[in-house]
Amino acid sequence: MNSTAPSRERILTSIRNATKDIAVNPADRAAAYATLPRNYIRRGKMNTEAKLALLIERLREYDAEVVETTPAELPAVIKAQLTASGRHYFLAPEGLPSAWMASGFDWKIDRNLETAEIEKAEGVVTAASCGIADSGTIVLHHAANEGRRVVTLLPDWHLLILLASQVVETLPEYFDRCKQSLGIPHLATYISGPSATADIEMTRIKGVHGPRYLAVILVHD
Amino acid sequence: MSHAAISTHAELDPRLAPPFPKAVLPVLRNPQLRKNVAHAIDVIQAKRAKLVAEKSDWQDLRTAASELRMHALENLGAYLEEFEVRCTAAGGTVHWAADAEEARRIILGLLRQENASEVIKIKTMTSGEIQLNPFLEANGVNAFETDLAEIILQLGELEPSHIVVPALHVNRSQVREIFARRMGRPELSDDPKELTNAARTFLRQKFLSIPTAISGANFLIAETGAVGVVESEGNGRMCLTLPKTMITLAGIEKVLPRFQDLEVTLQLLGRSATGERMNPYTSIWTGVKPGDGPQKFHVVLLDNGRSSILARKTERQTLKCIRCAACMNTCPVYRQTGGHAYGSVYPGPIGAILTPQLMQMKHAQTLPYASSLCGACYEVCPVKINIPQVLLELRSQVVNQERKEAGRIFDPMYLGLRAANLLFARAWIFHTAQWFGKVGLKLFTGKDGWIHWLPSMGGRWTQTRDLRGLPDENFHQWWAKQRGQNKRKEAK
Repeated sequence: MNSTAPSRERILTSIRNATKDIAVNPADRAAAYATLPRNYIRRGKMNTEAKLALLIERLREYDAEVVETTPAELPAVIKAQLTASGRHYFLAPEGLPSAWMASGFDWKIDRNLETAEIEKAEGVVTAASCGIADSGTIVLHHAANEGRRVVTLLPDWHLLILLASQVVETLPEYFDRCKQSLGIPHLATYISGPSATADIEMTRIKGVHGPRYLAVILVHD
Repeated sequence: MSHAAISTHAELDPRLAPPFPKAVLPVLRNPQLRKNVAHAIDVIQAKRAKLVAEKSDWQDLRTAASELRMHALENLGAYLEEFEVRCTAAGGTVHWAADAEEARRIILGLLRQENASEVIKIKTMTSGEIQLNPFLEANGVNAFETDLAEIILQLGELEPSHIVVPALHVNRSQVREIFARRMGRPELSDDPKELTNAARTFLRQKFLSIPTAISGANFLIAETGAVGVVESEGNGRMCLTLPKTMITLAGIEKVLPRFQDLEVTLQLLGRSATGERMNPYTSIWTGVKPGDGPQKFHVVLLDNGRSSILARKTERQTLKCIRCAACMNTCPVYRQTGGHAYGSVYPGPIGAILTPQLMQMKHAQTLPYASSLCGACYEVCPVKINIPQVLLELRSQVVNQERKEAGRIFDPMYLGLRAANLLFARAWIFHTAQWFGKVGLKLFTGKDGWIHWLPSMGGRWTQTRDLRGLPDENFHQWWAKQRGQNKRKEAK
């Protein structure tokens, strides 16, 4: 239902007329799509170690802070990172494991918090869905432990906990994982570096509107 | 519904802008502007070259993207309908706008439903194409741009000159002056960091208080009904997350068949546009999600001439464009002129083919000539748009249009071409004309064999370059002589 029905018909009719020499019926369309050339690199060739090293290199290239740890050490490392950040008041998405919420800090769990409340927080700690080594990208599908979009946006400092098993080498590998296990996300944010601009004389300035500081803990699981 | 008439910005309105050769003159006489443009382009080009070189499968990605985009266009009707069904099922509302006027009216109607007197905007070229901001302003809605470059332009009342870094022609001291004056911050220095912080402070309150936002779209996904926006600063994420209502304006050509297709376009876009492996933030959303982000979501699908481009076999490829701007960054003409001379929000080689077509070839007919046809744009285009081929096709359309115009009968260029047609058609006329030319031009040929000055219209050439004098013996004469000698040799 909408107010522009006549235009809808007009536009679709002129598109159909414009493409009548080339558009195909649904079955052939699926076949045409399936045979589109895709000769680019799908799977990376690196071993796990090299893949993780590449991700860390890429993250550091755009000034993200990266530390590595094991599952057993994770809570202690989180605590150390929070302390080192010099901040006290943190947000936690509703699904964040309680073991990650280190003692000695003020935590606010996001149960549909008002924007004004979120704005007061100094930092946020979340999980992630995937890491892509080739481009240094961290993928959020905004699941319960990754937080609503606003929670990972307003605080100035974002600490991400990424598992080594979540890291892929290439972007196509991430899309394969969506098909196989992650599912196609309803909402997604791909983060490849902290908020930045080069709009004034191409000088790169970090931190315009999103979090200015991005920290990552890579967990060798 | 009543609404005020639009007060357009003439400089970038293809219907009002001066022809390209006239529009470039002020730029060519402005060394500061040319320096700003050249600097920005050099920086992007160097970064792009480095990151493209590290991709061993770059050409395979280009081929895949080109075929994928063409497949989407060939089946555009079906994919748009699929997008509409999925987006609607996910809680979005899809609107269709046949032209700019209808799109403006739909958006204003939605804003009035929300009682919005203010709206925040993510950078969108399509909104510039339909001249949305002046229209909203005339109808009592203040539109706030939130991309840093767009704020600079909006506060400075300047026009964009590039589709990815629209303020690349403005330098830091000019930005400082604009911010000091319009934000009431005379203490600001021209340090880009300080200026960026000033913009952050200026906008923070707007993000937190204005409940309605407008965005463009980098892609629409038919399979899921999702929409995606690619950005660097986080102003996009702010606009996509904090407001209660989101209105997305998207050209109908923006659709991709499946979610997975992003594995191709996202690898190409960041590298081509800004010389990054991936842009800092990509946001993808599907309709509305309870508890997260805007709870009302509208998509306005804009035709505005696109379906008529689709109907033309050679020109169809224009619509594959993913708006990365690599073509303008590499273009030797754009490098000298910057964007304003193109008289449209779409400058550079892609603008030279897109703008006249969006204008149904009724305006901007000088743009297909704003190129040396060197082909650099085709070489860098991540979706392999053969821009020189389309330029040539459009040139022939311009000529076919022009020579039907009654006023052209006595146009010196067409008179000259008709005369040339006569001369070249018969060998004896051609040789006679050559003889007369040789004798005539001798008067002007210097001792060095070059012509440095010609009277009347010939002066247009010699004003800026010399012309070789005609040789005493032309090729035909030389050839005839050679053949005569050879025959004599054979006879011996």
